[in-house]
Amino acid sequence: MIDVNGLSAGYGGDDIIREITLWAEKGEFVGIIGPNGSGKTTLLKTLSRVLERSGGVVTLEGRILSDYGQKELARIMSVVPQETGMNFSYTVKDIVMMGRFPYQERFKKETADDYRIVREAMEVTNVIHLKDRAVTEISGGERQRVIIARALAQQPKVILLDEATAHLDINHQVEILSIIRDLGENVTKIGVFHDLNLAAEFCDRIVLMGEGQVRAIGTPAEVLTIKNLRDEYGITAMVQSNPVTGRPLIMPLSESVPSVLRGVRIHIISGGGSGAGLMYTLAAAGCLLTAGVLSPMDSDFAAASQLGIPCITVPAFAPITPAVCGALGAYLDEADVIILTAMPIGVGNLPNIQALTSDRRSRLILFVPPGGEFTDCTPAGDGSFLAAIRDAGCPVVSSRNDLYREVEKRVITRKSRK
Amino acid sequence: MPETSRIRTVSIITLLGAMLFCAFFLALSLGPTTVPFSAFIPNDIVGMIVTLFTGGDISGFFPDHTSYLIIYSIRLPRVIAAILVGAGLAAAGAAMQGLFRNSMADPYIIGTSSGGAFGAAFTIVFMGGLFLPVFAFIGAIGATFLVYIIATRQGRASVETLLLTGIAISMFFSSILSFLMYSAGKSLHQIVFWLMGGFWNVSWSDVWLGLLIPVGGIFLIALARDLNILSLGEEDALHLGVNVEQFKRVLLFISAAVTAVAVSIAGSIGFIGLITPHVMRLIVGPDHRVLFPASMIAGGLFLLMADTLTRSFLGEMPVGVITSFVGAPFFIMLLRRRMRA
Repeated sequence: MIDVNGLSAGYGGDDIIREITLWAEKGEFVGIIGPNGSGKTTLLKTLSRVLERSGGVVTLEGRILSDYGQKELARIMSVVPQETGMNFSYTVKDIVMMGRFPYQERFKKETADDYRIVREAMEVTNVIHLKDRAVTEISGGERQRVIIARALAQQPKVILLDEATAHLDINHQVEILSIIRDLGENVTKIGVFHDLNLAAEFCDRIVLMGEGQVRAIGTPAEVLTIKNLRDEYGITAMVQSNPVTGRPLIMPLSESVPSVLRGVRIHIISGGGSGAGLMYTLAAAGCLLTAGVLSPMDSDFAAASQLGIPCITVPAFAPITPAVCGALGAYLDEADVIILTAMPIGVGNLPNIQALTSDRRSRLILFVPPGGEFTDCTPAGDGSFLAAIRDAGCPVVSSRNDLYREVEKRVITRKSRK
Repeated sequence: MPETSRIRTVSIITLLGAMLFCAFFLALSLGPTTVPFSAFIPNDIVGMIVTLFTGGDISGFFPDHTSYLIIYSIRLPRVIAAILVGAGLAAAGAAMQGLFRNSMADPYIIGTSSGGAFGAAFTIVFMGGLFLPVFAFIGAIGATFLVYIIATRQGRASVETLLLTGIAISMFFSSILSFLMYSAGKSLHQIVFWLMGGFWNVSWSDVWLGLLIPVGGIFLIALARDLNILSLGEEDALHLGVNVEQFKRVLLFISAAVTAVAVSIAGSIGFIGLITPHVMRLIVGPDHRVLFPASMIAGGLFLLMADTLTRSFLGEMPVGVITSFVGAPFFIMLLRRRMRA
């Protein structure tokens, strides 16, 4: 439907976007995301011919975009902008009728077809009850639906959306994007999104832009990864799977993890949910994590598997076999840092602790958040294994920030030793 | 368009037309000497028209020769000119308000009136007022053209730049005008009179020139649908299939030409081009297909009434004084209403 090949464009001779190559299939909903200044709006403006390209080729239905006449293009492509300035009090139906302009000849009146199409467009976008109201008097959400009705009245094959819902409340955002998504197989939709979750929810494919270039193209799950979010947006984010739709669900974290932690190998021994938070923040920061031993019933295991963290598991209430111990030992030996979180220790998970030999203890950090504590639930019940660890002089931290600092310290001393 | 609103607009335009029709005859009758309506009517209409087109003298067809001279040589050209100028300024004002997406814009906004005033003052000072309408016309068109050229970059002229350039060029020409007035000596009062605007020395030749105004009006009505779309914003217009830059050029040219004709006939009469489209938009709505004809009729009517008033009762006070005197408070009233809304 639309093929973009090596497209470059910008303002006043400076290219904002460079060498963009992407495509949209018929009926597809393609989202364009990227941080401010990444060129997503410039890309859209070039596709809608507001900006002239400085290089590359765009073809629309097999024809070169710049060959289309203005009216001819408006019969194939319509654009829904972020906001439309309404200085004059046209009625809603007048505005929607303007969508028929590319089909009308000068001096000719509106045809019965025009009225029918305008009416249908207003019905689809649910503004028919507003048809005689002035556009200056309706709410922002209603006005945006009117603009979409106008875009539909153009009977386009491609709709471009420039953050079309950015100024609206969440209910209107969902409503409007649902209308657009449900336009069917014959309309290709390309939209710039600010809100990553909305993009994930509504788009078939996502184009991630950074510094004027395409950084990733693919399904929402392929593009919206912790790594991409960190690299392009510079954020620490949690990416989960929306339990309803199975699409990625992004939750930016306000916590900042020192960037030197990127690439550090960390093994987390946790249980009962005591390590899940760490797993999310450390994974988002780019640490190479391993975890275990965990039971598949454990919420820490759920977090680890969601994040794709290699994790040693044994079924609940099953003993930790020597083979498992061997695997754990391998992880522990590979790790630059081992984190042990406060949790109840029983017979089941005692081998985790026992695996912390004195060599491994030198890389151990104990994480005891407020309210968390090590409790000895072993038959012996005397806490002797804990005493042994404490005696080894491992740092004990109570907040995640302290933990990051401690890990950082370890990384630096290890580097300086090398 | 549903029938109810179409009936409404048709009846408003019909009503305005009827008012203009009545005002037309009233204006012919009124003046320092009141001429009865019976004196207008030729005793053989068909014969008169035949004589008119064969270029003969038609004065014999009228009952009273003095009344004939007053009506057909003095008042009729003046009345027609007032209607045409009023219509032209209102149409150009509506076009500029649509183009600039601002109901505070007027036909003079892109330098047309100050250019025209400069042209007029130039010939008054240096050539004793010879070819005054021609010079005013050239000045008006020239200033607009200059504004457009300056504001255009790589084939595009943004309305913001046009607006600011228009202000700058207007100020520039105003300063030259002030210099000319300063050094005008005895002809100063002539410049001042021209600046205030009026119809006291209008003749049939002005009317023939003024016929360009309805021609321009027809062009504007033809462009009304495009202008409706452009008044939503240039990017929106582009997406809806309007060839924006070309359209702006055409619109600016037509409205500058119409304004320049109006200015060369009657000087720079204020407020008609600002108030009329503004008020008509409140009455008939923003659709330029209706707004243009409605503004033209209303503008013609308003200026005709103002000119008749000054001619008959105020001893030929420049009509621009009246339009501004009535227009300014009216404008303030509208402004206050807007602030409340």
